[in-house]
Amino acid sequence: MKKTLDLIPLIIFLALILVLFTFLSGREDQLESVLVDKSFPEFSLTSLSDESSFKSKKDISELPALVNVWATWCIACRVEHPFLMKLKENSTIKIYGLNYKDDRVKALDLLERDGNPFEFSIYDFEGRLAIDLGVYGAPETFFIDKEGIVRERHVGVVDEKVWQEKFAQYLDD
Amino acid sequence: MTKSLNIFLLIISLSLHGNSYSQADFDLYPFDTQEKEDLFYSLLNELRCPKCQSSNLAGSNSPISNDLKREVFKLVQSGKTAEEVKTYLVQRYGNFIIYNPPIEPRTYVLWFGPFLLFCIALSAVFLLRRNLSK
Repeated sequence: MKKTLDLIPLIIFLALILVLFTFLSGREDQLESVLVDKSFPEFSLTSLSDESSFKSKKDISELPALVNVWATWCIACRVEHPFLMKLKENSTIKIYGLNYKDDRVKALDLLERDGNPFEFSIYDFEGRLAIDLGVYGAPETFFIDKEGIVRERHVGVVDEKVWQEKFAQYLDD
Repeated sequence: MTKSLNIFLLIISLSLHGNSYSQADFDLYPFDTQEKEDLFYSLLNELRCPKCQSSNLAGSNSPISNDLKREVFKLVQSGKTAEEVKTYLVQRYGNFIIYNPPIEPRTYVLWFGPFLLFCIALSAVFLLRRNLSK
């Protein structure tokens, strides 16, 4: 009886380690993606290239598509940019940009200089659509399927590895 | 003794209010009623900044926090209740955005874990004491 009692602290300690390990080891450092499996939100914002032209959800017409949140102040977006250019050239998927809290002139200059992977970019200076998307930084990338439903969200740079792991599966069928 | 207790209480009350808004914010959000203004500032204390993660909206000046403050301002000004504002934000940012997560299977450990640990500790003490007195 005494022996088993002595073991109790050890057992509790091991159980605690197990519980904490299972709950904390998941890569939960990112926000949950509430929008996944929901319809892409409605919006009405100007296009980056023309401040008198309004874009809405129906302008994201060629589905499936990616919506990529980017800005000139976002260093990681520069890192991601060559991969988006590669996607534009080698893949059938269309990419729509969401220019986030940026300067219109600087953004257009960047696309002019480094190439424009986007069908068009939505200009979201106030972060209005970004709030509906639950965006909290840039870059972020959303995959929208043929029915206009968001299927995947990636926070951070999309590169070849992320593409294969998270997005490529949706294009197979 | 009373003096140190007073200092202790002062520190506690200061730390409880440390997270509230600063005076400078007042003119930025012109509300038409005092109730709405109070609701707005109590919400800012309860909502978490998505970017800084360990700060609330009131304590953060990051661009996204300012966007969210503006959004909460609009919602409150249009007569939304605290619950409606929270639901609106949870639908977009998930439970993460509120500092007071709902009780659901995913958060059971969070809510009941401490009580469980307390019970375990209590029974351990009880068992050990009984054992010693034998």
